[in-house]
Amino acid sequence: MSKQSFQLSAADFAPAPPATHAERIVRPSLSYWQDAWLRLKKNRRALSSLYLVIALLLFTLLGPWFWTQDYTLQDLDMISQGPSWGSAALVVEDPGAWEGVRGDALPLPQGQELGATTQLTVEGAATTQYVRLYWNAVPGAQHYLIYRNDHAPDSGQDLGLPLGETLRPEELSFADRLQLRPQTYWYTVIASDGLTEAASGTTLAVTTERAITTTQARERGLEATVGASVQLPAHPFGTDYLGRDVLARIMEGARVSLFIGIVAPLLFIAIGIVYGGICGYFGGTLDIVLMRIADFVIALPFLLFMILFRIGFGIGPGESGIFPMLLALVLLSWPSSARLVRGQILQIRGEAYVQAARMLGARSLYLIFRHLVPNVMGPILVTLTFAIPMAIFTEAFLSFIGMGVSPPTPSWGAMSNEGIRTMLSSPHELLFPAFFISLTVLAFNLLGDGLRDALDSRLRSRE
Amino acid sequence: MNTTTLTRALMQPISSYLRYCLSALLLFSALCALPALAQEGVDFATQSVRIAQGSEPPNLNSIKSTDQTSIFYIEHVMEGLLRKNARNELVGGVAERWEMEGTTARFWLRQNAVWSDGVPVTAHDFVFAWRQVVNPEVAAEYASIMYPVKNAEAINQGKLPLEALGVTALDDYTLEVELETPTGYFLSLTSFMIYYPVRQDFYEAQNGRYFADVRNMIFNGPFTITSWVHGASLRMEKNPTYWDADSVTLNVIDTPYITNDEQAVFNLFKDGMLALVNNLAAEQLRGALDNRMRIYAHPDGSVFYVEFNHRDDRVTRNLNLRKAMQAVYDSEELVYKAIGIAGYIPGRSLIPVYMNGVQDKFRVEYPEQPASLDIEKAREYLELAKQELGLDEIPPLSILCDDTNGAILQAQYFQSLFKRTLGIDIKVDAQTFKQRLDKSGNGNFDLILAGWGPDYEDPLTFGDLFASWNVNNKGRYNSPVYDAYVRTVQGTSDQQVRMDALGRMQQHIIDEAVILPNFERVSNGVRDPRLQGVVFSQTGASTTFTYAHVTE
Repeated sequence: MSKQSFQLSAADFAPAPPATHAERIVRPSLSYWQDAWLRLKKNRRALSSLYLVIALLLFTLLGPWFWTQDYTLQDLDMISQGPSWGSAALVVEDPGAWEGVRGDALPLPQGQELGATTQLTVEGAATTQYVRLYWNAVPGAQHYLIYRNDHAPDSGQDLGLPLGETLRPEELSFADRLQLRPQTYWYTVIASDGLTEAASGTTLAVTTERAITTTQARERGLEATVGASVQLPAHPFGTDYLGRDVLARIMEGARVSLFIGIVAPLLFIAIGIVYGGICGYFGGTLDIVLMRIADFVIALPFLLFMILFRIGFGIGPGESGIFPMLLALVLLSWPSSARLVRGQILQIRGEAYVQAARMLGARSLYLIFRHLVPNVMGPILVTLTFAIPMAIFTEAFLSFIGMGVSPPTPSWGAMSNEGIRTMLSSPHELLFPAFFISLTVLAFNLLGDGLRDALDSRLRSRE
Repeated sequence: MNTTTLTRALMQPISSYLRYCLSALLLFSALCALPALAQEGVDFATQSVRIAQGSEPPNLNSIKSTDQTSIFYIEHVMEGLLRKNARNELVGGVAERWEMEGTTARFWLRQNAVWSDGVPVTAHDFVFAWRQVVNPEVAAEYASIMYPVKNAEAINQGKLPLEALGVTALDDYTLEVELETPTGYFLSLTSFMIYYPVRQDFYEAQNGRYFADVRNMIFNGPFTITSWVHGASLRMEKNPTYWDADSVTLNVIDTPYITNDEQAVFNLFKDGMLALVNNLAAEQLRGALDNRMRIYAHPDGSVFYVEFNHRDDRVTRNLNLRKAMQAVYDSEELVYKAIGIAGYIPGRSLIPVYMNGVQDKFRVEYPEQPASLDIEKAREYLELAKQELGLDEIPPLSILCDDTNGAILQAQYFQSLFKRTLGIDIKVDAQTFKQRLDKSGNGNFDLILAGWGPDYEDPLTFGDLFASWNVNNKGRYNSPVYDAYVRTVQGTSDQQVRMDALGRMQQHIIDEAVILPNFERVSNGVRDPRLQGVVFSQTGASTTFTYAHVTE
């Protein structure tokens, strides 16, 4: 070692720079919210329900842009049809154009009984617009009874629907227009002498083809020449009992259901935060008085108030009851969230850091907004996500019993109510709205579950 | 002490063995009770039938009642001078024999007809009842059906005292009726509810609660009402004091189910809990078809239509607005496509197809000229209407209807139709039956889905509906021309003159768009094959069980 190396310069005596890296935090600091988000992201169930909620909102808000069918449009030829991707239809002449077939009434020969109808024939093509039947006169018949069945009658009893009867003996034809579908029908015509029916009739199997009339084709802007083939709109979710598109109605109905489901909880939880915050922070007599008022409100019956508001606002029959429903939900549901917030605030108010802040001269407003409210946000968010499905259910229930929307506006609950009466023959009318109610409620519940876990500071990640 | 500890304290003295015995006993008795609760729709041994009703009878007082449900019960428990037999023909009821000559009718009552408390039915009971019907203070809605009786109308309008009514009890068992004009259908009227007897002493003792509850009732018909739980059930049993009790086989007609849930009613029938179900809706009809049940159809006589409110404060008083709505409306589309119930006849006229004219059916002799379906013309009418009313836009109209699925469906059809074609907004006002009657009586509607069943077998039963004085003219249609037709029909017994006037009246209704006919109803029903002899009719009660019996 050389001597030189021991020479010291002034620079060597300069103060060392502060050891900034001595206690370096290796990983970036995580705020409460960032941490919660991280943990929420790890919870696959909660995350997928979050995506589901977003998808539902998009479906509601953007859906009608892509699916442009009118939810009030009644296509009476397509009543209660199952899901379909559009079908071709034949254009036929308007039903009014047929005169029918007339013949002579024949007297009943002595000692004979009323016989069966003969020569039952279909005039022209059998379509879903009309099936035109005619037959030969039966001696002694005063009028004829026409029946239609979906399957071949296997006994004299099983004739199917009594479609109607002719009025006079000369009338030997009948045009069936009753909700025809593209399928095979078995028609039976029985002669009657006014008091008794003939023992047997003739049965004819007829297969119908889907068709629309020229007038309908013109109204819809389709090619309106007889014999043309046109394409009918698709109904991926089927149609309801008035031939309205279920998909379009689900989208429109979602607006009502989700509007109530999201706006009502947001409003009553906001009221709850303010009310509960005041009670919890100031305490004392004010707290006691305010909380007794909250207890009183809890005791009020929801349904009764809903009806009172309806009357109070002069909501007549046939008008939408959504506003009174919202009001009743908000005015009667806030106490539970107010209680929750009050409890949380009371607890946090005693914590050391709040006391310290108070010692340092923090004012009430600062304390509330800087320390108290952010710390109760977790439980509040969880309450909110659980309140949403509850509100959706309430709306569905009230619309189901007829207190909500008025026709033709749909909501999921009202659609379920309408669908339930055709549950056996066309289940899709009930299943689709019911599925969407269940899906939405499940998604919000799972999201709430995930949020509760994520926001629980005791489970805060320590790695 | 909370409830659990309380129970435990009570249970302590009882040994555990006894406790097991007790719970087993409870379970056993619960199981035994089940089959007893599930009763069959028809029962041979007890000759009983069980039926369901859409609503409970709103008013069982024969003087004031108007609706089908009430008429069903009243006709089973009461009897007038004449009644209908098992073949739906008029035969003697309380009256043994009768004579009609010009404007005088005389009835001889049978001595063995008694009230259910044993007191004989006398001619005075008829005089009292008929005077009550036309009493302006009672304000019976059906009073106009009493108008063929001399002075009835003047009394009803408060111009003459009650005693001036053309009905006299010559003695206890002889009744003489003076008619205003010769009325061919008067005898059939006497089988109608408002012509039934009411006993003065009993009626007055009820303080206005006559037939409001079981203890306020007295009967002279084939059945008696033995229990009535309002809104829940009503039970009729055979009346042993009825003079013709021998021809009544059924012992019990029970109504254990009062619900307007059509599917629930059909399910009850499918499970064998009901004897018959009438008026099946499309969905239940499909269920009956799938189960390969035999379906019976019979026209129930009722005509259904959209009635307009013609009062001065409503826009529907405007003829051109009504014509605009008429010109876009096709009853065939409503019936065949929207309603979709087999057998319903699309409405074309107020007078239904089965009504008789002079020689043949009325509608064959007097075919109606329908208004043409023309959307361009409809829009012209609408423009005219707006000008006449001084409005830029027709305000939203309310359509009053029952809260049944079928009625709401029809209301929605009209809502969509008028919105699509004319741009008129319609609000659907669905109400319970009682409420609907109430609101229609007060004129609280623009349009109403109304219907009318015939009260007697003459087209006039429909024809006088829109006479300005008829209380059942809910829309207060008021036309001197129309009233003159009604006067002509009422004023003579010459069938040709009457039917000519009715024919012109029918056309007047179409030309003035007084109503929009919807359909003539057919009742599609299913019934237990063991139930025989039920009578269906178009006037009065649509279903009569009086002559029915249950076979094995």
